[in-house]
Amino acid sequence: MQKHQEDGRVLAGGQSLIPLLALRLARPALLIDLARIAELARLGEWEGGISIGAMVRQRVAERSPLVRQRAPLLAAALKFIAHPAIRSRGTVGGSLAHADPAAELPAVVVTLEAELVVASSERGERTIPAADFFSGHYTTALLADEILTEIRIPGPGPSTGFSFHEVSRRSGDFAMVGVAAAVAVEEGSISGARLCLTGVADRPVLATAPELGLLGVAPDRGVFEAAGEAIAARLRPPTDLHGSAEYRRQLALVLVARALRSASQRARGDNEDRREGAPA
Amino acid sequence: MAERSPVGGGGAARFVGASVQRGEDLRLLRGQGRYVDDVRLPGMLHAAFVRSPLAHARVVGVVTEAARRARGVVAVFDGEEIARLARPRASIPGGTDDGGPPVYTLLATDKVRLVGDPVALVVAESRYLAEDACELVEVRYEALPAVVSAEQALDPKSPPIFEDLGGNVIYGPTTKAYGDLAGTFARADLVVQAKISQHRQQNVPMEGRGIVASFDPETGELLVHAATQGVNTTRAALAAQLGLAAEKVRVLAGDIGGSFGLKFGISREEVACAAASRALGRPVRWIEDRGENLTVSGQAREESFEVEAAVTREGEILGMRVQMVVDAGAYPGLAPMVVDSVREMIPGPYRLQALEFSATVAVTNKASYVAYRGPWAAETFVRERMVDLVATELGLDPLEVRLRNVARRGEPPLRMVTGPPLAGITARESLERMAELIDLPEFRRRQAAARREGRYLGVGFATYLEPAPGPRSPDSPPDPGELEHQRMRLEADGTLSVFTAQMPHGQGHETTLAQIAADQFGVDWEQVRVVVGDSSLSPAGFGTGGSRFATMAGGATLHAARELRSKVLEVAAQLLDTGPERLAIVGGLVVGEGAPAGGLQLAELAAAAERGLLPVGTDSRLEAEVTFDGGESGWSGGTHCALVEVDCDTGRVRVERYLVVEDCGEMINPAIVEGQVRGGVAQGLGAVLLERSAYDPDGQYLSGSFMDYLLPTATDVPHIEIEHLETVRLDPDVNFRGVGEGGMIVAPPTLCNAIADALAPLGARITEQHLPPSRLLELIGTIGG
Ligand SMILES: Cc1cc2nc3c(=O)[nH]c(=O)nc-3n(C[C@H](O)[C@H](O)[C@H](O)COP(=O)(O)OP(=O)(O)OC[C@H]3O[C@@H](n4cnc5c(N)ncnc54)[C@H](O)[C@@H]3O)c2cc1C
Repeated sequence: MQKHQEDGRVLAGGQSLIPLLALRLARPALLIDLARIAELARLGEWEGGISIGAMVRQRVAERSPLVRQRAPLLAAALKFIAHPAIRSRGTVGGSLAHADPAAELPAVVVTLEAELVVASSERGERTIPAADFFSGHYTTALLADEILTEIRIPGPGPSTGFSFHEVSRRSGDFAMVGVAAAVAVEEGSISGARLCLTGVADRPVLATAPELGLLGVAPDRGVFEAAGEAIAARLRPPTDLHGSAEYRRQLALVLVARALRSASQRARGDNEDRREGAPA
Repeated sequence: MAERSPVGGGGAARFVGASVQRGEDLRLLRGQGRYVDDVRLPGMLHAAFVRSPLAHARVVGVVTEAARRARGVVAVFDGEEIARLARPRASIPGGTDDGGPPVYTLLATDKVRLVGDPVALVVAESRYLAEDACELVEVRYEALPAVVSAEQALDPKSPPIFEDLGGNVIYGPTTKAYGDLAGTFARADLVVQAKISQHRQQNVPMEGRGIVASFDPETGELLVHAATQGVNTTRAALAAQLGLAAEKVRVLAGDIGGSFGLKFGISREEVACAAASRALGRPVRWIEDRGENLTVSGQAREESFEVEAAVTREGEILGMRVQMVVDAGAYPGLAPMVVDSVREMIPGPYRLQALEFSATVAVTNKASYVAYRGPWAAETFVRERMVDLVATELGLDPLEVRLRNVARRGEPPLRMVTGPPLAGITARESLERMAELIDLPEFRRRQAAARREGRYLGVGFATYLEPAPGPRSPDSPPDPGELEHQRMRLEADGTLSVFTAQMPHGQGHETTLAQIAADQFGVDWEQVRVVVGDSSLSPAGFGTGGSRFATMAGGATLHAARELRSKVLEVAAQLLDTGPERLAIVGGLVVGEGAPAGGLQLAELAAAAERGLLPVGTDSRLEAEVTFDGGESGWSGGTHCALVEVDCDTGRVRVERYLVVEDCGEMINPAIVEGQVRGGVAQGLGAVLLERSAYDPDGQYLSGSFMDYLLPTATDVPHIEIEHLETVRLDPDVNFRGVGEGGMIVAPPTLCNAIADALAPLGARITEQHLPPSRLLELIGTIGG
């Protein structure tokens, strides 16, 4: 990396990079394959949460009981990425480093306040909070000589429920809009909430309980719909072939309410919302 | 179930009507098919095209020096150079080439007319190197305003795409009228009007276009490996284009990865490759990549219709006035022929009394109009959507309106108002059966209950006729070009070879023709070899298309097998010194009075004939040649029905059930029939929910990859329930009818009607075919648009 900063490129699962090469959109002189660095494929406990090596395949993370237990939001979101064949090659780190504005995982790590560990041979490691990692379309805080090595996700807080909702054109397509939500409910009222949208801006868009007017209120449909409207009103989503800005705003409104509702239901232990939350 | 065919010599039918497993599948599924991409010839070179980044521009200069010097490059041809090597005027598959305007060249010379228009051809040692060199070709363009819609094209002030055309109208306006139009409108209680449109969509075969052309300078012969729907058509077009005698051109085709109408004749790029091979004396190969396929191979369906229907209060549709406008894209193609079919077919199975139909075809700076599975499908879309609009206007159930209008078999009118006979139609039966299958009253109750909970369910029907090829019309005998020729031969090893001009590209012809021949002749179907894909062996005939195969090739096979059987029995009788009427062929053996116990092997018989053991004067060539005119033929057709739920928050549509009641005559192989129906329905659902060939206002193509041209995947296609109707036999022998296009023809209106029904309480009036989620929310007013 040090030697080939400008014309070298890291190859992880290749599910984004190889298509770019095939279309002649990326033309690196050199590819550096990370596949054989065993440390990068480790998945284990980290404090109360988990540590995921950058090269852990998405499918491996999705099927890991540890991930399901310690990071249920990640487990839920992974199912929305592409198809099993692609997830079997695509990596967790690759998705974050690629920073597609419609990808699921960036929204997940921001919602969960993950820490991203990056490294360069010259300066060693540094840790970047997920909220500071994504800086625009396909751009991150990674410097030219750095790679992402590890993702550290804190364990779920008490009385907290999670959910991931998205609408895409077909199952497996990138989301037109996706919403990751975490809601804590204590003694019948909301004690905390974070949610993050994907597909609506050049990077994940975060909103927290105070901004959403959710702190201390009882979880009901009305407050979730109001939160959806409030967020949607401040979005300036992109327009493309698959949906106008206005359509995406409508999806954000609907999906924020749906995601908050199912997360809060899970926080209270009932899981009656499988129908909406599951990928089509 | 269809009736089984009676078999003269071999006993009861054993194979026709059975879902025997396709003989081609093992080869294809194991990756052992041989496609044009698999062909490797010694000394073979690779072609890539320099293509226009602009939709409409003058070509001011093409500088190829740097590319010529690039690594691995053998030659670079610009448009002028190719024009000197081949007939400058390009032939577009299915296009009319009467020598008149517009005049244009194989590769662009003076102008480019769409994004992706080929400007230069680079031939190199590999495709990679050829593409590298393409980047070194400098083309200077002078941009012109792009004409990107028919509406713009019809504006006389729009910049002409072809200067010699005098405007951007390439056909029409033409008007034809049938019946007493004024009378029907005068008698009507109501005139229902709508502007109904189809959007641009396209054939997306798994395998794109491709050619390996190999010219031998010693013999002056051109050998071409092609992906084509007909080797003879490709041969004729290539020979004409290159100024070669047809005898000097041989076209071979192996397995073909789908086509849906795209691969007829030969395309501009393919001719250019053949011309390059001739100039270089080396094989030249070009395999279209997906970007090229989506951008320039061809597109279809973009047609709009102003419709007025004269109806009675009871829902009888008396007459229609229709104005059709086609956006035919850049280069002349199939559109005028499609206009004729749409006009003729638009009455469908209904008792329409009068029709006035006018049509205009415009050229635009978009991909050229090609045939796509059921090219004339607009007649069904427009009619079936119109029936529902009439029902809505009158407050009647759409099913009731259909039943009120659909013709009864055997009762007047015996013909569509446009002429085709309505012999043997089962449209009414298909509608009645469908209503039973879904229990319509029960659905309406469920729908009402769901609406009270804010859920939107809908049901949609559509009925169609598929001219496959349609009943014999006493006043229009079959065109000589449409006759089906076939040769059949008993080989020395006792197997049967069937030579056909058909060119299967996914339909399973190797199996279905073998089933028919086997039953008629008296052998196992595995003993029959269907020979396709070699112009030097093929009988005359244009190839596979237009849902003609089942009737035409099926019928030709049936008659050829019967004729060959008689001939073989004659020979056997000579050898065995008995009478042919005493013999039969059963299970590959000649048996009967005078035959040895255990039968005479066909191989022995063939060997005897070959060795000249027959009495002098016996015709010992164990071959039959027949020409079949289609016999009485008939319609395929039926009714489809979709039950859907629309999520009015997100605009997503879920298909709860999809049902088909259809009639394609006597089924040769029910599994193949159902595969054709399912594939067609999948494409039809894709058209409505996913697929659109989109352009921006400058004519840039927006759907150039599978990220943006969305095909239905397995998870997007619902289970499809299929029921077959009893066939009305019109011909004593041949009642197989085509089934390739019907699913794709009727699925779009079926689904649109269901969605319209679901959204009716929200005031949506649907007159378009493409209904992605965002559009549905616009139509119900949740978002602007
Ligand atoms: C058909 C299809 C559908 C898809 N659908 C979705 C979807 O719905 N949602 C979604 O989120 N994704 C989707 N993807 C993308 C998929 O998730 C990719 O796997 C992912 O975006 C990139 O991961 P990768 O391991 O394949 O990375 P690669 O393709 O190998 O690399 C991607 C980029 O990240 C860089 N990179 C990779 N790893 C590192 C690292 N450790 N440090 C620094 N830089 C690194 C590479 O240099 C490259 O620039 C889809 C892909 C396909 C082919």
